[in-house]
Amino acid sequence: MILDLHTHSIKSDDGRAKVQNYCQWIRTRNVPIDGFVLTEHRQFDFESDYGELAERHDLVILKGSEVETEYGHVLVFGVTEPLYDAFDFTSIGLPLEAVIEHCDAHGALAVPCHPGRPRVGMSAHLAEHGVPEGVRIVEIYNGGSRGGEDAVAAKMAEELGYLGIGGSDSHIVSHIGRCATEFPDPVTTEAELVQALKAGRFEAIPRQH
Amino acid sequence: MADTTVKTIAEVEFGGELPTFAPDTSIEATRRFGKHVGWNTPRFTDHEGARKEGLPGAIVPGVMSQGFLGAMIHRWAPDAEIVAIDTVFRAPVQVDHPHTITGVVTDIDEDEGTVEIDITITNEAGENRVFGTATAKLPT
Repeated sequence: MILDLHTHSIKSDDGRAKVQNYCQWIRTRNVPIDGFVLTEHRQFDFESDYGELAERHDLVILKGSEVETEYGHVLVFGVTEPLYDAFDFTSIGLPLEAVIEHCDAHGALAVPCHPGRPRVGMSAHLAEHGVPEGVRIVEIYNGGSRGGEDAVAAKMAEELGYLGIGGSDSHIVSHIGRCATEFPDPVTTEAELVQALKAGRFEAIPRQH
Repeated sequence: MADTTVKTIAEVEFGGELPTFAPDTSIEATRRFGKHVGWNTPRFTDHEGARKEGLPGAIVPGVMSQGFLGAMIHRWAPDAEIVAIDTVFRAPVQVDHPHTITGVVTDIDEDEGTVEIDITITNEAGENRVFGTATAKLPT
């Protein structure tokens, strides 16, 4: 199955997409994904329940987060209330290695996203901070990438031995599914997503449209 | 891609594309714009002056880009009232570089008579420089 692992809704400060419109768009335009993960900026959306929406459109809708560290932005999959209490998701200067440690301790996974992007991507900070401990996966295909950003990400991943995922980083409805990640096994919960990622059973899909 | 215009909200379909629009991003256009609004700053009107400010060359003013987006909507729906244009500027729109403006309908509220449109300004490389949404009210 194919999931877009990096999307934003109106819950994010720069997100302009309603989740129901994502679903309607995917089905109306036959976007070749089976679901998506909402990774809202600097927060985790505990309150929204997209179960009915997911069922109506036969889509998987999962939730994660995108936090900000000294190495740039990082997706967090498998967020739980204890993990949310472990560090300040709203901070714009989290230490990446601490985020990874907290994620490991709570069965979650931290994945640096758009790592080839200036300022907010991991590769831009390696010279200053060195190679961080604990990173296993990075986002190598990002739907919002410009210029050679994805190539920088892929090169960094290859050199450092990281696996790669794909996500659209959509902030408006029509950008969802531009990049994605394919899993050989069903992924219907956040726990299954983390399990599949940790097992390395996935393949990143580059921009399709 | 639609080549036609729409007059009422009943003619609008979810997922419908607005006619693509190629804006005039020439230095002459930004100079004219700058003259009329009183913004004769080099960053909009002179490539060399803009480079001295650390830019890759002259850039199109953000409000001028929003004007292009509004023009696209009115070409598609001449009787529409644009209620809001909400843009995120991810990267500069460079003067004298070809760009494409696209729009697609992503929400229809027939009770309110409004449609929501995803709007993007893309450069030749296919990179989204500006994206956002617009809300337009159409006759019922």
